[in-house]
Amino acid sequence: MRRPTFTALVVVIGVLLLADLLVVNTALAATAGVIVDAAILVAAGTALAAVASLALRRLADLWRRRGDPVGAVLVLAGIIAMLVAGLRPGSAGTSDPAVQWLVGALLVPIGASLFGLLFISTVSAARRSVQGGSREAVVLVAAATIAVLVLLPIGGAAAGWFGAARDWMVGGLIGSVFRGLLIGIALLAAVYAARVMLGIGSADE
Amino acid sequence: MSDRWRRIGGPGSLLLVLVLGAALWIAPSLDGLTLGDAVTDGGGVDEALDDLEPSPIVLVGFDPDLGTYAEIRPTVRTLLADVLARDGRIAVVSLTPEGRALATAELARLARGEANAARLFDLGFIPGAEAALVDLATGLTTSGGAGGQALGRELAEDGMDAVDAIVVVGGNDLGPRSWVEQVAPRVGNVPILAVTPTILLPEVQPYVESGQIAALLGTVADGAAYRDGAELGNLDRLTEQTEVAVLPILIGLLVAAVAMGQALGARIVGAARSREREVS
Repeated sequence: MRRPTFTALVVVIGVLLLADLLVVNTALAATAGVIVDAAILVAAGTALAAVASLALRRLADLWRRRGDPVGAVLVLAGIIAMLVAGLRPGSAGTSDPAVQWLVGALLVPIGASLFGLLFISTVSAARRSVQGGSREAVVLVAAATIAVLVLLPIGGAAAGWFGAARDWMVGGLIGSVFRGLLIGIALLAAVYAARVMLGIGSADE
Repeated sequence: MSDRWRRIGGPGSLLLVLVLGAALWIAPSLDGLTLGDAVTDGGGVDEALDDLEPSPIVLVGFDPDLGTYAEIRPTVRTLLADVLARDGRIAVVSLTPEGRALATAELARLARGEANAARLFDLGFIPGAEAALVDLATGLTTSGGAGGQALGRELAEDGMDAVDAIVVVGGNDLGPRSWVEQVAPRVGNVPILAVTPTILLPEVQPYVESGQIAALLGTVADGAAYRDGAELGNLDRLTEQTEVAVLPILIGLLVAAVAMGQALGARIVGAARSREREVS
């Protein structure tokens, strides 16, 4: 069963933040500001805890000789390199040249290369899904093929046709489906939030 | 396939891809190929910037993604140079660690390009995701920031009231949608402009059509058209000197279309043959 203090806390904070958005009141704004600041601190703390947890997990993997030792060493080396570059005495933090080199020369190219590899894996997965025989996969890959064709960077008269087709696909087909999804998600979130705020739980709680 | 061919196949394919990539990279541009086509007008960014007050303060929410930043980087650099060329002032803030890392790199690049330091202010990184956006919209502070003193004072005194426009460089979780949801209702009529990779287009396009995003550079073609039309004067030195090569993009798209089309064709032919066998 859900604890009443948690529900009460959610109700009070939710109502306060909503009221702050709708009503102009200095005291209310100050109170909402404190809550937002607290949320920021919690988020920052959570991020730090997540990094610490990752480092500890990888250390434990190495210590107990389980999992992927190369991956664990790389993760730990990356964390240590960035911490040393950004926190050593005399460092300028995130704008330190060493940090910028790590980001510009390693992080960005590696990130972009990994994203580029998605090209091969996505096309390969699309082929396999069609070969699997699923009708949904055929529709999905057919739509993707058409989308790729209208994105071809060709000039002249064909550019106009492709551009018009692209706009129609994004604004009409994809846009309407995506908007429907967003509205559905928003409604679901609102209903869930209202249930939490009113203390209405599901049958198994 | 024999073991020998299997051993040669992997490195051989990699070498072939590398050689092909290098050949495409240095290949001359062809007349028939263009990124900015006839139906692309640069996303309306030029008009949105024209509508701003003289010497505007532009708050840049810099949160691209490491993987997709390469796609929008030339456009982002041109946009920053464009704002400066219009006597604009730029305050940069990031809400994600990735965004912060890329923002510091871009600010360092502007410094190396001898951009006017008095027109730049680094507001730094604010943790807290959506809560940070709310905090930024309701109480923009310059503590911990660095940059032009006069610009910092103006931002410290007037907060978001000093901001004439917001440019969101998206790609990460906290993109234009979060700014429209969390900041726009709290700051009044400050236009939001966005630069995003194509993958975010379906998410962002509805906000453009509703007017909540004043201008969007959301595709490679939009970016190319905008870069073609930007008048930067001597600040052209702040942009990327190498224009995006179109041929590798064309080849990549064709390879994808052929690979997927071939699988679809094989599936259709297979289905037709099995139906034919059933009938006979």
